[in-house]
Amino acid sequence: MTLVKTVLGHPVLRFLARRVLYSLVVLFGVLVLVFALVHLVPGDPVRIALGTRYTPEAYDALRSESGLDRPLVAQFFSYAGSAATGDLGVSFRNGDPVTLTLADRLPATLSLAAVGILIALVISLPAGIWAGLRRGRLADAIVRVCSQFGVSVPDFWMGILLIGLFASTLGWLPTSGYAPLAANPGGWLRHVILPGVTVGVVAAAIMTRYVRAAVLDVASMAYVRTAKSKGLPPRVVTLRHIVRNALVPVLTITGIQLATILGGVIVVEVVFAWPGLGRLVYQAVATRDYPVIQGAVLLIATMFLLINLAVDMLYAMVDPRIRLS
Amino acid sequence: MRGRAVAVGIVLALCLTACSPGRRVDLGDEAAGNLVAAIAGEPDQLDPQKTTAYFSFEVLENVFDTLVEPDEDLEMRPALAESWEVSPDQLAWTFHLRNGVTFHDGSPLSAADVVYSFNRIINEKLSNAYKFSSVSSVTELGPDTVRITVTQPTPNLLTNIGGFKGMAIVSRKNVESGQIATHPIGTGPFMFAGAKSGDSIRLKANPRYWGGAPAVSGVTFRFISEPSTALSALQAGEIDWTDSVPTQRVDELGGDESVRLGVTPSTDYWYLALNEARAPWGDVRVRQAIAYAIDRGAIVQATSYGTATANQLAIPTGSPWYTEYHRYRRDLDMAQSLLRATTLTDQTLDMLVTSDYPETVTTAQILADNLKPLGINVEIRTVDFAAWLDEQNKGNFDMLMMGWLGNIDPDDFYYAQHHTGGKSNAQKFSNPEVDELLDAGRTEVNRDARKDIYAKAATIIADQVSYIYLYNPSVIQAWTTRLSGYQTRQDGAIRFRTARLN
Amino acid sequence: MTKVSAALLAVIGIVAITADWLAPYGVNDIDVAGALQPPSGSHLLGTDELGRDIATRVLVATQASLQIAVAAVAFAFVVGVTAGVVAGYLGGWTDAVLMRVVDVMFAFPVLLLALAIVAVLAPGTTTTILAIGIVYTPIFARVARASTLSVRVEPYVQVSRTLGTGRIHILGRHILPNIAGPVIVQTSLSLAFAILSEAALSFLGLGIQPPEPSWGRMLFDAQGFMHRAWWMSVFPGAAIFVTVLAFNLFGDGLRDVLDPKQRTVTAARKNQ
Repeated sequence: MTLVKTVLGHPVLRFLARRVLYSLVVLFGVLVLVFALVHLVPGDPVRIALGTRYTPEAYDALRSESGLDRPLVAQFFSYAGSAATGDLGVSFRNGDPVTLTLADRLPATLSLAAVGILIALVISLPAGIWAGLRRGRLADAIVRVCSQFGVSVPDFWMGILLIGLFASTLGWLPTSGYAPLAANPGGWLRHVILPGVTVGVVAAAIMTRYVRAAVLDVASMAYVRTAKSKGLPPRVVTLRHIVRNALVPVLTITGIQLATILGGVIVVEVVFAWPGLGRLVYQAVATRDYPVIQGAVLLIATMFLLINLAVDMLYAMVDPRIRLS
Repeated sequence: MRGRAVAVGIVLALCLTACSPGRRVDLGDEAAGNLVAAIAGEPDQLDPQKTTAYFSFEVLENVFDTLVEPDEDLEMRPALAESWEVSPDQLAWTFHLRNGVTFHDGSPLSAADVVYSFNRIINEKLSNAYKFSSVSSVTELGPDTVRITVTQPTPNLLTNIGGFKGMAIVSRKNVESGQIATHPIGTGPFMFAGAKSGDSIRLKANPRYWGGAPAVSGVTFRFISEPSTALSALQAGEIDWTDSVPTQRVDELGGDESVRLGVTPSTDYWYLALNEARAPWGDVRVRQAIAYAIDRGAIVQATSYGTATANQLAIPTGSPWYTEYHRYRRDLDMAQSLLRATTLTDQTLDMLVTSDYPETVTTAQILADNLKPLGINVEIRTVDFAAWLDEQNKGNFDMLMMGWLGNIDPDDFYYAQHHTGGKSNAQKFSNPEVDELLDAGRTEVNRDARKDIYAKAATIIADQVSYIYLYNPSVIQAWTTRLSGYQTRQDGAIRFRTARLN
Repeated sequence: MTKVSAALLAVIGIVAITADWLAPYGVNDIDVAGALQPPSGSHLLGTDELGRDIATRVLVATQASLQIAVAAVAFAFVVGVTAGVVAGYLGGWTDAVLMRVVDVMFAFPVLLLALAIVAVLAPGTTTTILAIGIVYTPIFARVARASTLSVRVEPYVQVSRTLGTGRIHILGRHILPNIAGPVIVQTSLSLAFAILSEAALSFLGLGIQPPEPSWGRMLFDAQGFMHRAWWMSVFPGAAIFVTVLAFNLFGDGLRDVLDPKQRTVTAARKNQ
């Protein structure tokens, strides 16, 4: 009871509680959608999955193991309940528990996303700040055009071209594949460069725009003008006020981009044979392995939601105006 | 200040991914003498008597044994059976088992295991039960002796029971515990040591193997579906062997000093089959018209870049059972005159292909071009292999393209596919003369007479277009120069028992 | 910039419509002997692994890609705008429910949701249109709703309602013209991304099926030949890039004219 009172009393906590609640509602909706996937399939998913391994016994076994012989609502709550405890069923193709498979593939995707974001930041921060500070001039125009180009480039095309140039022709880097960081750091780096750049450049194009916009916003703010009128040298004004205050929205944008990368990384993983979640989803879709599709989609959507939630909370803690809305 | 926080956060994230408990790579890889082989797909299961997937057999070839096995010339040699005799009336075969053979779990091999294995296939009607069609009983005559009695003389019994590992000798305990599909226990040169779904299967050497302990400490089969990934891994030294070599790269690899290439004509063959249960494909003139319209040369070139051999029958030139046959060639006039006698105009053809075998997709596009002038509109339906098998078995196609792997005896090439009601006769071909010939071939003991029978049968099969045979591909494998004691086999079986890494 | 991109779009549109006439060869004219030829006089963009003219296939693929993109975005437009306007205008429970559904859809990364839809229905042209259409519906809903909300509180609308003017009338005279700007901008931007999504789906083998040419599929085929036929990877990809860029630039240009308040961007960024 006191907990609830504390939360309701404090504006930030109240906001956070509202956001968490809201996220849970959306998560529920996601669960419903993911669950519905298997049942919207025209035809019998179990039959399709078994293919030539079909025998009446195997069919019955897989069907009851997947709970498909029970009423729809019961199935849903059973699925939701199991999902909450980490049981996402077993793969139709090889009977492996979905959760284990997901856990196996997650590190590769995370490392790709991390490298991608890093590269994106390295490109977009300087570029966006530079463009924002030189608004309307040539530098700004160049950055904006590059950003447009970057957004329009298909990431799989970029990946293929990079492979064609650096791997097939020059032979500097491997064409695809993955080596785990812990076991083989050198190999990991060699393998992650091309896919990381592919992911990073496209993300950078998007983020540059936001960084630039954030810098423009901050530059026009009152306290910056005040600082300038106080007679502080322009350099100091720039570095101390603009950059530091623009960094917060940039952080939130990074968070959003990270979430987007997690989903958009599918095609890049396929091009580079990167054994991550994205490639797993693709292979599962190609083989109609519904439990795996469900599990992976659920996981990615949940991560998406969590990251967005984290971004909102960060934003709220920093910007008082948001809390009161 | 905040920037630093971001940096720290990112570093932490990277560390997280690095220190993740995802026991990703097997410990055996870096161990001295472990062979890393990359195959193009993952086995669906490891029960040799149930699986029909080539990927499974690539692994299982090293885990299990059969009573007899083919050597590099595809002649049957002793394996688990040291010797055998056939009764004068040809109806009783007696096999004497090798002494001292043990399963990977230590239990000794006895005749009871052989009897159990074969009866399992027969009684449960598993994938290769048809190879035992003439077998009336399999019994244990003593702890080391097995008697197989047949209802009629069966000259190809040896290839039937040992042509590939589908008839492997399994352990009863392993089967009854249900473990065989995921943790197989055999008598072969390597033991199952672990699997990581979607990634790899590890085998380790069996020091008590009856043929002598392997020279490598183990084999790790990694699944790499992209040929370019496999090849660059090979060139980088990350793997030691792969059969995932796209034919268009063979030329350039031949000149690469860091890689050894093995190209051998194989006993596999690729074919087209028209579904005779669906009109108008039941009409032999329509099928022949199509046979005259296809550009076999272009298909062979586009799918194999000169590494395959066009063939209008199934059996390749290297085999003693080879028959010459050259009836068809691309002749649109002939095709059209055949069609004029039928009622076919503006026909759609549902062609079933699978993305898991890109040569089928390539060929389908060539066929679409080849058959257009005949008024046949080819609609290409691409599905994954499991779905493809399902569709084939349900008869849900007009035409399909597929290949059969690793055959030795002519009966293997023709019976199941072309006999009325044959287990692999998805095209529903039925010809009484062919049936008679194929049945006769099974019991004819005289080799020349037998060859004659099959020559006749094959000719009718091609004349009546049960299949449109396309080509015999080559087995193409590439391995590191450090690997010795390995050779590419015509039947595509992957044997690492004598492999050595320097 | 806007004029340049508009001109580019016009060219692309003309190509899409006249592709069959412009194309020098047939789309599936196979010539295995002439496979993998570099760009030359007879084949301006070279030939692919089956000897087909790449220029022809790139041109005809324009048609397929644009058709799918337009159909998908039309679907998203109709469903999304309707839902957004209804939610924005009626408010209350309708708004809450509709927007929660939209939020759920936003919880999925675009390609992931499209893949999931393709997994349910079999791959093919219709599925692709449906998948992309469904995936882009939420953004139209949000943009339409945001605009509707901001207009709804305008004095002239309030006055209309007090006067008792019919809802349809209000919608037609006041709301729709006002949301037109941001929605049109969104259409152009969505077309750009729809083309990218279709290319990605085809690249994964789950979109347009062979032998119908599609830029994405051509890139997929090009992968096996990177070492000896660079033209197979470069030209189809360039086609995608140029088309998407044109739509993006045009949309940006439109935004400066039609949506100076940047309602499209804010709508996308807000969570509610």
